[in-house]
Amino acid sequence: MSFLAPLFLLGLAALAVPVLIHLTQRERKSVVMFPSLMFLKKIPYESVQKRRLRDWLLLALRLAALLLIVAAFSRPFLRGSSVAAAPGGARDIVVLLDRSYSMGYGDSWSRAQRLAAESIASATAADRVSVVLFADSAEVVLRSTPDRSRAVAEINAASPGPGATKYGPALKLAGSLLAESLLPRKEVIVVSDFQRSGWQPDDTLRLPGGTVITTAVVEGAAGPSLALTPATLLRTRDAGQPERVTVTAGVLNRTAAEATAIPLQLEMDGRIVQTLPVSVAGNASATVTFAPVSIAATTTRATVRLGAAAPKGVAGQSGVAPAMSAIDALARDNVFNFTITPSAPVPVTVVTQGNRDDANLYLARALAIGEAPRFETSLQSAEALAGDAVNRARLLVLNDVAVSEDAAAKLVTFVEGGGGLLIVLGPRASWPSAREAWLPAIVGPAADRTRGAAAKLSGMDYGHAVFEPFRAPRSGDFSTARFYSYRALKVAKDATVLARFDTGEPALVEKTIGRGRVVMLASTIDLSWNDLALKPVFLPFVHQLGRHLSGFREQPAYLTIGEVLDITAAEIAAGATTSTAMANGGRTVLAPSGQRRDLSPSAPGATGDKSGVGVTAALELVEQGFYEVRAGGKEPGAVVVAAANVDLSESNLERMDPKELSAGVTGNGAAGSTLAPDVLPDKAQELAQRVWWYLLFAGILLLIAETVVAQRLSRATR
Amino acid sequence: MSVYQPIPGARFVDPTVLARIGNLEMVAKTVVDGLINGTHRSPFFGASVDFATHRGYVAGDDIRRMDWRVYARTDKYYIKEFEADSNSNFNVLLDVSKSMSFGEKISKLDYAKTLAACLTYLANQQRDRVGVVTFDEGVVDHVPPSAKHMDVVLHTLDRARAEKPGHLVAPIRRLAEHFGRRGIIVVISDFYAEPEEIFDAVGLLRFRGNDVVLFHVLDPQEVDFAFVEPSSFEDLESGDQIPIVPAALADQYRSLVAAHIEALTARASQQQIDYMLLNTSQPLDYALFRFLSMRERMARTR
Repeated sequence: MSFLAPLFLLGLAALAVPVLIHLTQRERKSVVMFPSLMFLKKIPYESVQKRRLRDWLLLALRLAALLLIVAAFSRPFLRGSSVAAAPGGARDIVVLLDRSYSMGYGDSWSRAQRLAAESIASATAADRVSVVLFADSAEVVLRSTPDRSRAVAEINAASPGPGATKYGPALKLAGSLLAESLLPRKEVIVVSDFQRSGWQPDDTLRLPGGTVITTAVVEGAAGPSLALTPATLLRTRDAGQPERVTVTAGVLNRTAAEATAIPLQLEMDGRIVQTLPVSVAGNASATVTFAPVSIAATTTRATVRLGAAAPKGVAGQSGVAPAMSAIDALARDNVFNFTITPSAPVPVTVVTQGNRDDANLYLARALAIGEAPRFETSLQSAEALAGDAVNRARLLVLNDVAVSEDAAAKLVTFVEGGGGLLIVLGPRASWPSAREAWLPAIVGPAADRTRGAAAKLSGMDYGHAVFEPFRAPRSGDFSTARFYSYRALKVAKDATVLARFDTGEPALVEKTIGRGRVVMLASTIDLSWNDLALKPVFLPFVHQLGRHLSGFREQPAYLTIGEVLDITAAEIAAGATTSTAMANGGRTVLAPSGQRRDLSPSAPGATGDKSGVGVTAALELVEQGFYEVRAGGKEPGAVVVAAANVDLSESNLERMDPKELSAGVTGNGAAGSTLAPDVLPDKAQELAQRVWWYLLFAGILLLIAETVVAQRLSRATR
Repeated sequence: MSVYQPIPGARFVDPTVLARIGNLEMVAKTVVDGLINGTHRSPFFGASVDFATHRGYVAGDDIRRMDWRVYARTDKYYIKEFEADSNSNFNVLLDVSKSMSFGEKISKLDYAKTLAACLTYLANQQRDRVGVVTFDEGVVDHVPPSAKHMDVVLHTLDRARAEKPGHLVAPIRRLAEHFGRRGIIVVISDFYAEPEEIFDAVGLLRFRGNDVVLFHVLDPQEVDFAFVEPSSFEDLESGDQIPIVPAALADQYRSLVAAHIEALTARASQQQIDYMLLNTSQPLDYALFRFLSMRERMARTR
């Protein structure tokens, strides 16, 4: 017999309680406060009576009741009984094999394969085996098969990837595989180096009842462990000179041994540009700043590499240097890839009625200032709207223009394809009535506020991207601008009012149409109807409007594996106009491994609007190195290059206790031992453990008997 | 063991009723006025101005005390001397140790406070200077004797609390050195100490010429020990506990208490100290009456 909850046996100490009560408490029922024990102490008195047990039967009943209750709570388990001897049955085994890049440290991977194969070899012919490879995501490579040789073959065919360890998805997948299993015994075998960074306790993560977790720990190789931290880029631009960038790389030493004079290379487009030595003390980090380099016209693929020179061309592909083992047994974190992109301007076309340069003065000057993004403004007359000037822009500003029917049709296409349109309303502005429903608001007559108090802006939507920078106190005061005239607007149902005049009439209205946006400003953008252009808020306001309407987002120089690349945003940042986006029926992705893949609207991996007009595409990065995305179609579009790096947290080889993981998913640390106990089916377990119920019942009966006996004895003594 | 013997024609007030009055002055008035009206006599002599004797004049004597009538008859100078001063000091030494808080219906301390108030009131009526000292292991409160201190004494008695363990000998030794002027000293305590120790201390008061009166206040439970249930007895002052089966010990306890009282009585008699055992179940005026009667008898014999 054994016990399920042996700690409850400590309750046997309670058996001493009735004895102590008999010995002490019965003789000292109460304490009498007495002025002085002077005389009582003089009396020779041997306290014999208190040591005498009087009610033996009562004591025996109490002790027996306590004994039975304690035994019941400790849940005795009849292991040797016929019930317990029921056959355990076949096992359903799920082998979780860690393929994160830290498993490539030294010979860890071959040892992991050997451990996984050994664990599968212990399976009987009745058992079924599933193989799951996992890093930051999990993949079933073999689902519940009795063929052990296939499972071993799958394991031998696998190799460590660039991903970081995440136990959660793998255990969830194992749980779902086992939940479908009909076999009576379930087991999960985790083969991993058990990095602490991979485990986040999750209350919702639970394996099916009775699942046994067996852990096989792959010990890491000894030796230095260096890693590159993300590089920082400092851009500088001198007048008349090309843009230059200064790269600063960081090196992290995760071992106690000092690393001295390690060569650190900066490569650009596969060529070694600079090599600097770096020394890092144990458990410390160091930074190295390379000499500034000029930025080329196109996107440059840059790599910082720790260690000896890599063969030319390797960096452009996988980005992993094969010669790294001389410095570090873990090569993947010795390379850091990033892109250096010349800051591409956002093309803006400002359309004016006739030659009214003064009307564009403030707008053009405001757009000319600024770096992120840089706006490249071209001025066009209203007649140019009929041509293809529209399609060359990312942002179109109609500065008090009467729009013809043809032009309106082109503008609709422009906006639905992802362009931004700012309609500035002055005395000349008009829109074909047939297409008025398309606009955010129907334009009404001009309101004259030249007499009396001028109108002011109020009721700004500070939650909107345009006004968000002005949200904080003293971050810009729009109320100082005076509006002497403005056009009355009747706002469409699906439009949003971003700002109102103090009269309550809409001043700035926005509507999202297709993939683009239209914003209407109810007054002019020069000094003819208002003095907004003279106010300090004008410049940031125009920039925010331009940034918002053009859909510009600053692109990071590098991404981490597992992150998703927003291809559309990257194309915009790379200077794509709506015409190229519209022309592109699809895109081709060139992965770091050299694999080519089409990313058409119907292809897997493409997300968002699949109407065919324009595609919001996203790409999950799964390899280390440089991804290249090229727009398809007749007209060549912007080429997007994205650098993908391994997750730095994976290079931290600090190990966790495998029991922690077992306890986290089973709620019982003991279940994680490699010597897992036999697990009975639920009914057999219940039968084998039913003894506690009888013990508890007998204990309660004895307590009732004790009450009766105690009452009788009490009456007898009275 | 009860010492309460009813006196024909006298009605005494129950001490528990007195304790409920709360105002010590009123209690004292109630008890003492009733008592004096019944006896019409005061046994204290401190206020006496009776002639005692003549003695021959010596240089330095106050000539105002010269007896001119005797000079006229004898042609010699004689000085008139009187029995006593017009008034004397009356001090109450009240034990406020923790053991005095014991009592079922009325605590020993309440009883003692009422007794002290009555005696003080009585003395004050006779123009004595009254004072009080409360003590436990040291002196707690000290009101020096004065004819104007009646109210202060009553107030001091009123706020006396039994909170600390007591030690009879040390404070009395200190006080003995303090009482420079002779007077009447009343010690009210439960006298939980060996008789030798008590009288070594009290003797110092007596040897300095004071008239010492000991009131031994005990609760009926302390005297009769009428406990039944076996219990753990805890010393109020030391906190010591011993398990007691009262049925087995009561007789021995009572005999020890009786021996203690007898020893105190004997030693008091030897040292010409008035000693009186007071049981808190007795009416206070009865106790006073008995005491005053005893004093009167002893005064006649002295």
